[in-house]
Amino acid sequence: MSQRFTGYAVRLQHQENHVTMARKRLAMELGMGTDLQGQDYTKAAVRALKDALWHNSLTIAPALGYPREAMEVDVEIGVAQPNKVDKAVVAAVLPYGRAQVSVVLGGLDIPNEDGTKVTVIANAAAVVYLDIQEAN
Amino acid sequence: MPLKRIILEMGTGNDLYGEDYTKACKRAVQDALHHSSLTLFRSLGLERDAMVVDVTVAVQQPDQVDIEEIAAQIPFGTVNVKAVFGGLNVVDDEAGTVSVIASAGVAAKLDLPDGPFVLPKTL
Repeated sequence: MSQRFTGYAVRLQHQENHVTMARKRLAMELGMGTDLQGQDYTKAAVRALKDALWHNSLTIAPALGYPREAMEVDVEIGVAQPNKVDKAVVAAVLPYGRAQVSVVLGGLDIPNEDGTKVTVIANAAAVVYLDIQEAN
Repeated sequence: MPLKRIILEMGTGNDLYGEDYTKACKRAVQDALHHSSLTLFRSLGLERDAMVVDVTVAVQQPDQVDIEEIAAQIPFGTVNVKAVFGGLNVVDDEAGTVSVIASAGVAAKLDLPDGPFVLPKTL
């Protein structure tokens, strides 16, 4: 008898603690970065992401009652030579939260007068997601 | 429920030759606004107009800023604008020109409950 009651109580508690979460898109931050002389696409991408992130102070997560470390950030970079971007270096820019970096063909390369070098422009978007608790 | 800041957006703007402090501030506010997009209103089912937006602009002559025009830059919510001393004026003595640089801080606040936010059932 007591065994059955214990089991019932445990199951009830489990149901109470069972929370479902939904991944929600909270904000998007935009930036632009360059590498003027070095034709370094990673450097331009890093600067673009820093421009995006440090134009804003995002306090959405703590305001909603979630730790800022719970944020998931999708970083999208656009440059003219996507294969030359070191994604790990770009991801390391984020001070907290989980980063997912994707690089696509975009940005802008501007050649110099004699066509020997290019100035690199990178575009960056950081899209911030958070798992939000759903009402039962 | 307490009013909580969800974002602080920052920007800068200038008026290079017109010495128009309002124009420099408007550009600073636009720069602040367009480096981010708050998508949580749609995704969490919150009202955009429930937002309180505190705008602070800083220039060397804050009394010359048209507060109404700055407030009109904010598309949603209840807007408060304050102009304070700051920014930077760059004087070219040779040409006799003054370039006006403005800084802007745009803080968006929302009434949110304490503890974890829970999505309403309808979403």
